[in-house]
Amino acid sequence: MNRLVGMFWGLLFLAVPVLGVATFAVAPSINVWLPKDVSAHGYQIDSLFYFILGLTGIVFIATEVLLFWFIWKYDAARGDHKAVYIHGSQTFELVWTIIPAATLLFLAIYQMNAWANVKMRRPDIPPTVEVVGRQFEWRLRYPGRDGMLGTADDIHLVNDLHLPVDEEVLVQLKSMDVLHSFFLPNLRIKQDAVPGMKIPVWFQATETGAFDIVCAELCGWGHYKMKGRVTFVSRPEFDRWLERKYAEQEATQPSIHAGGEIVAN
Amino acid sequence: MSTVTTPVSITHGHTPAAKHTLSTFLSTYVFSKDHKVIGLQFLFSTLLWFLIGGLLALAVRWQVAWPWSDVPVVGKLFAQQGGQMSPEFYTMLFTMHATVMIFLVIIPILAGAFGNFLIPLMIGADDMAFPTLNMLSYWFMWPAFFAFGASFFVEGGAASSGWTSYPPLSTNVASAPGSGWGQTLWLLGLTFVGVSSMLGSVNYMTTIILMRAPGMTMFRLPMTIWAMFITAILQAFALPVLTAAGFMQLADRMFATGFFTPENNIVNNAVAGPGGGQPLLWQHLFWFYSHPAVYIMILPAMGMVSDILTCFARKPLFGYRPMVYSIAGIAGLGFIVWGHHMFMSGMNPALGITFMVSTMMIALPSAVKTFNWLGTVWGGRVQFTTSMLFALSFVSMFIIGGLSGIFMAATPVDIFIHDTYFIVAHFHYVLFAGTAMGVWAAIYFWFPKMFGRMMNESWGKAHFFLTFLFLNGTFFTMHILGAVGFPRRLADAYHYETFHHLQPMNAFMTYCAMGMVASQIIFAVNFFWSMFYGPVAGRNPWHANGLEWTAPSPPGHGNFDVQPVVYRGPYEYSVPGIESDHLMQTDPPNAIAAAAAAVH
Amino acid sequence: MNMHLPVSVVMLLVASCLATVGCGPTPPAPFRLNMVEAISPTAEKDSIAAEQALVPAQQKQVATILLAMFGTPDAPECLPETGLDPAKLRLAAGPVRSDIVGRKNGLYREHCVHCHGITGDGLGPTAAFLNPYPRDYRPGVFKYKSTERADKPTHADLVTILHNGIPGTSMPSFGLLSPTQIEALVEYVKYLSIRGETELALMRYFFELDDEDEGRLSETREFLVDEVLQPIAEKWVAAADAIIEVPEAPENLDLAVSVAKGKELFYGERANCVKCHGVTGLGDGQANDYDDWSKNIVKIEGKLTSLAGNDLDPAERRWVADFGQVLDGEALRPRTIPPRNLRRGIYRGGRRPLDLYYRIHAGINGAPMPAAAGTVSPEEIWHIVNYVRSLPYDFDGELGVDRSVAIQPPAAESFAAQENTD
Repeated sequence: MNRLVGMFWGLLFLAVPVLGVATFAVAPSINVWLPKDVSAHGYQIDSLFYFILGLTGIVFIATEVLLFWFIWKYDAARGDHKAVYIHGSQTFELVWTIIPAATLLFLAIYQMNAWANVKMRRPDIPPTVEVVGRQFEWRLRYPGRDGMLGTADDIHLVNDLHLPVDEEVLVQLKSMDVLHSFFLPNLRIKQDAVPGMKIPVWFQATETGAFDIVCAELCGWGHYKMKGRVTFVSRPEFDRWLERKYAEQEATQPSIHAGGEIVAN
Repeated sequence: MSTVTTPVSITHGHTPAAKHTLSTFLSTYVFSKDHKVIGLQFLFSTLLWFLIGGLLALAVRWQVAWPWSDVPVVGKLFAQQGGQMSPEFYTMLFTMHATVMIFLVIIPILAGAFGNFLIPLMIGADDMAFPTLNMLSYWFMWPAFFAFGASFFVEGGAASSGWTSYPPLSTNVASAPGSGWGQTLWLLGLTFVGVSSMLGSVNYMTTIILMRAPGMTMFRLPMTIWAMFITAILQAFALPVLTAAGFMQLADRMFATGFFTPENNIVNNAVAGPGGGQPLLWQHLFWFYSHPAVYIMILPAMGMVSDILTCFARKPLFGYRPMVYSIAGIAGLGFIVWGHHMFMSGMNPALGITFMVSTMMIALPSAVKTFNWLGTVWGGRVQFTTSMLFALSFVSMFIIGGLSGIFMAATPVDIFIHDTYFIVAHFHYVLFAGTAMGVWAAIYFWFPKMFGRMMNESWGKAHFFLTFLFLNGTFFTMHILGAVGFPRRLADAYHYETFHHLQPMNAFMTYCAMGMVASQIIFAVNFFWSMFYGPVAGRNPWHANGLEWTAPSPPGHGNFDVQPVVYRGPYEYSVPGIESDHLMQTDPPNAIAAAAAAVH
Repeated sequence: MNMHLPVSVVMLLVASCLATVGCGPTPPAPFRLNMVEAISPTAEKDSIAAEQALVPAQQKQVATILLAMFGTPDAPECLPETGLDPAKLRLAAGPVRSDIVGRKNGLYREHCVHCHGITGDGLGPTAAFLNPYPRDYRPGVFKYKSTERADKPTHADLVTILHNGIPGTSMPSFGLLSPTQIEALVEYVKYLSIRGETELALMRYFFELDDEDEGRLSETREFLVDEVLQPIAEKWVAAADAIIEVPEAPENLDLAVSVAKGKELFYGERANCVKCHGVTGLGDGQANDYDDWSKNIVKIEGKLTSLAGNDLDPAERRWVADFGQVLDGEALRPRTIPPRNLRRGIYRGGRRPLDLYYRIHAGINGAPMPAAAGTVSPEEIWHIVNYVRSLPYDFDGELGVDRSVAIQPPAAESFAAQENTD
C-alpha cells in the first residue's frame, strides 16, 4: 500500500516534465506562441529564444526525470535498504559547476551581438517619425516636406502609425508625462519611453500589413487603452499617405466623405 | 572553524505562578521578548495577510479572465456600473497584491516567523542576542499593517503604480488616483517594514555569530541557519538603499523636491514640480534593494528545504560546503545584477551587456544547489510525509522558475518578454511554487515543535496535491502566454489583435487560481484544528538531528533542559554501524562506540 | 494558558468575513437622477423656483417617466421621435459580453462608463481624478463642433471626437475601433444627451404647474412627447443644417502678412484675445471663470447642506473618490477653466485651420470663449487663425516667451546633440 502511495507521488512528479514539455509542444499549434515576426532583426531574437528553450528544455527534462527516478527508486516503502551514507563528491561538484558555468558564460557572450544590433548600433538616418507616449495614447509627429521635426509643416497624428516597408526606419521615442513603453510584438521591438529623454528606436519591416502597438510599462489606469497600430506600406504609398494626411491637417473647408465616413466636418 | 564561545545567558523572570496582572499578560503574550512567541506572532500575522493577498490576486485574475464583467464581492463597490471594476481599481489590485505578498507575507514569514523561532533553537541558544529588539521588530510591523490597510480606504484608494512604484507615475499626485494618499501610506508602510527587517537582521547576525552552543562551529550549522545568516547580511546591506529611495520619493511628493521628476513634466495637465531629476534614478535605487530582496525571499526557504530533505531521505546533505558557498555566491552576485530589471528602461545599452553576464552567472550557484538536492535524494530512504512532499516540490518547481530566468537574463530575448506574462510566470514559480511550498514544508515540519501537536498527515497530503495541481495549472501556461507577448498589468488585453484569442486560456487559469485558493481551506482547518486537537507530539517526531529536536515540544523559556553540547554536523543520518538511522548533533561520541560495539 | 485559542478564533473570524462578504451578483446598473438639478433648478436667482427643490415624490415621478421613455442602461428604449437607431443603441448598451467571438453589446461600458458614468453624467469612478473632467452629456452642451455656438454638434462632429480623441485631455482616440462600433457609441452618446435634456426639462416644468396639477406632471403623450421631447430631438436633427459656413481662405495670401495682421487683431480691442490668452499667449490672462458645468455647481455651493438634508435614500448616495469632492457624490468640485496656452501646439478641438476657424467664429459652447463672429470679419478670422498657428513656432517673440512650454526650435531637435545616456 505504501509502495502504491509512493508510486503515486512519483508519477505526480513525473507529470511535471511530461505536461511541461507537452504544453510547449502543443502551444504553437493552438496559436499561443511567438507572434508572426515581420522584422529584419527578429530572427536573431527568435533563434536565441529557441536555443535557450532547447537548452533549458534538456536540463528541465533531465533534472525533473532524475528527481522522479530518485523518488521512485529510493522510496522507503520499497524495502529495508539503508540510505547511502555519503556527504558529497568532489568530482561531481567540479563537473556540475564547471559545465554550467561555461555554458552560461558562452550564452552571455553569444548574445552580445544581437543586443548591440538592436540597441547600440544606431543607423545614421534622420528620424522617420517622433512617437510621444502620453496618458493614454501614442502621439505621432512626422517631419513635413522640409524633412525637419519641430517645424510648422509637421504632420500630427494619434495612434495610427504608418511606416515604409523594407526600409530602415528610426523612431524618436519620447514621453510627455509618465513612463510608457513602445512595444511592437510583431517586430520584436520594445523600448521604454522616459519623460525627459529622447530615445532612438530603429528597425526594418519585411512585410506589409497592420500590427499592434502595445504599451508595455504601467502608465496609469489607461495603460491597457494605449492601443496603437503600425501599418507598413511601400514607400510610394507611404509618401502618398503622408501627403494626404498633411492635406487633411491643413483643411480649410469641411470634408465630405460618403459611405459611413465623416459627412461634413 | 570559528572558536566556540560560551553563550550569553539571559535569565527570564517569568514563573508559572506569577500573578495574572495586565502587565504580566502583556509582557508574556503581547509584548513578549521570547523569540518563540515573537516567531508565532509573525506567523499568524503573515498567514492572515497571505489570505488578503490571495484574495486580491483572485480579483486580478477575475478581471484578466472576464474583463468588465460583474466581479464577485468587489462588484459591490461598483454597483453604479453594474459591478464592473474601474481600470484604476485594477491597477490598485495588482499593486497591492504584490506589495502585500512581498512585504507583508514572504519577507516576514521567512525571517520573522521561521528565523525567529528556529535560530536560537537550532544553534543551542536560549534566546536571541537582543530580545527587546526582537520584540520591537515584530511590533514595527503593525504600523506597516495599519499603513497598508488604511491605504485601501483613503481617497484615491491604495497605491496603484505597481509594487515597483516607478516615478513619475508614483510621485505625481495627478497621474493616478492611487498616487495620492495611497502612495504616501505605501511609502510609510515600506519604511516600517524596512525598520522591522533591519532590527531583525542585526539580531540574527549577532545571535548566530556569538551565541552558538559549545561545539557548534560554523560548519556544523544546519543549512537553515546558514541561509538565515546570509539573508540577514543581505538585508543589512540592501535595505538602506531602499529606505533612502523611499524618503527621496516621499520628499518629491510632499516637499516638491525633484529627485525623480524631469523638467517640464506635465501630467494630467498639472505641472509636476521643479524637475531636474531622473525617473531612472528611482529604478536603479529601487532595484539595488529589490534584487537582493528576491534572494532574501528564497534563501531561507532553500535552507529549510535542505534540512527537510535530509531528514526524510534519511541521508546526509550532499555537498554541505558547496551548498554554503552557493548561498554566499547567490547573495554576493545578487548585488551586481539589478540592472536586468532595467534592460528596456533607457539606461545606457552598454549596461545591458554587463548585467547580462552577471545575471547569467547567478544561475550557476542555484544550479549547483539543485544538483546537490538531487544528490541528497539519490540513494536515500524517502519517506513521503507532507513536509517532504512540499520540499520535493520546492526542488521541482524551483527548477522551472530558475530555468525560465535564463530567458530573461538573455538581454535580446528580454526585448520581447520584458513586461509580459513570461516574467510573471518566472517570479510566481520561484516565489510561490518555490518559496511558498518551502514555507508549507517548514510549517508541516516544525509545527510539532511550535505547538506540541502533530498536523494531520492525510489532510496535509490532500492540501499538497490540490495546491500542486492548481498552481501549475495557473502559472505554467503563463510561460506560453508570455511567448505570445501577452503584457502584464493590462486590465483588458483582448482588444489587441495579437491577444484577443487568449481569453479562454486565461479563464482556465483563473479557475485554477480559484481552486488553489480554495484548497488552502484544507490547510487552514488542519492548522487550527491540530493546534488544539492534534495528537500530542514528542520531542522528536521526525527522528531528525537538529538541536531543536532535543528541546521539549513546545520548548519553554530558555528552550533547553540542559545546555546542549554539539559533537557533529546536523546531517548524520544512516550512519553505518549504528542501529538508529539518525545521530543527533548532541549525542555524545561514546554512544557511537557503544553502538558499534553492540553491533560487533 | 496560551494565546493560541483567542488568536486562532480572531483569525478565523476575520478570514470568514473576508471570504464571504458581499456574496451574490450585483444588481443591474441603474440610471441616476440629476440630483444637482433636482435640488437647485436652473432658474433665475430671484424667482420662486430658484428657492425650491423637487421633493422625493416629484423626483420619483421624473425617474418613472424617464424609465418609460428611455428604458434602462441594460435595455434602452427610444421613441421614434428621437430619431435614434435602436439597433445601434443595443450594440452600445448593456454589460460587456465576455466572449470575444460573440461580443455583441456593452461597448459603452467597455470604453466609456468609467469616465462618463452610466448616466452620461461625467461621474464615472475615474472622473474625479481627471483634468479636465469628462463631459457631462446631460445638458446637451458640446464644446468642439462645426455648428454655431448654441446648436448641437452634427453626427460627424461626434464621430470625429471619437476618432481623434481630444488632445491634451484624457479623452483618448478611439480611431482603431470599427466604424460600426463608433457609430453605435455616437448614437448612445446622443441617447444619453437627449435623455439628460429631457430630464432637465421635466424637472423645470414642475415650476410651471398650476395648483390643480397637485404637484404632478402630466403623463400624457401630448405633453411628454410633443411638448417636452420633440423640441429637444429636433435640435439634434437640425444640427446638420447649422454647420458654420466657412468662406474660402483668401487666395494668394502671403503667410507672413497674414500672421502680422492676425497678431494685430489678437492684441486689438475688437477680438481682444489677450484678455484671456495673455499677452504672451500662454493662457495667463484672466483665468478665474468657470465652464457651464462648474458654474452650475458654484451657484449652489451655498446650498451644500440641502442635499444632505434631502430625503434621498442613503443607499443611493455613492462615494466618489475625489481630490475635493463636493455635494455628497453627486457632483465634482468646480474648477476654474484656464484659457488655452496657445504656445504648446495642442488644440483640443482639432488642429486644422478649419477647426480653429470654427472655434474663433462660434466660440466654445459651455466655456467662456466667446464667439468672434459678430466683431470680426471672416477674412480677419483667417488672419487670426494663421497667427495662432504660428505661435508654437514663434521663438523670437519679443514678449519674453517662456520657451520651456513651446515646441523647441529645430536646431535643438537634431539627434547628434542629444544622445540618450544613462
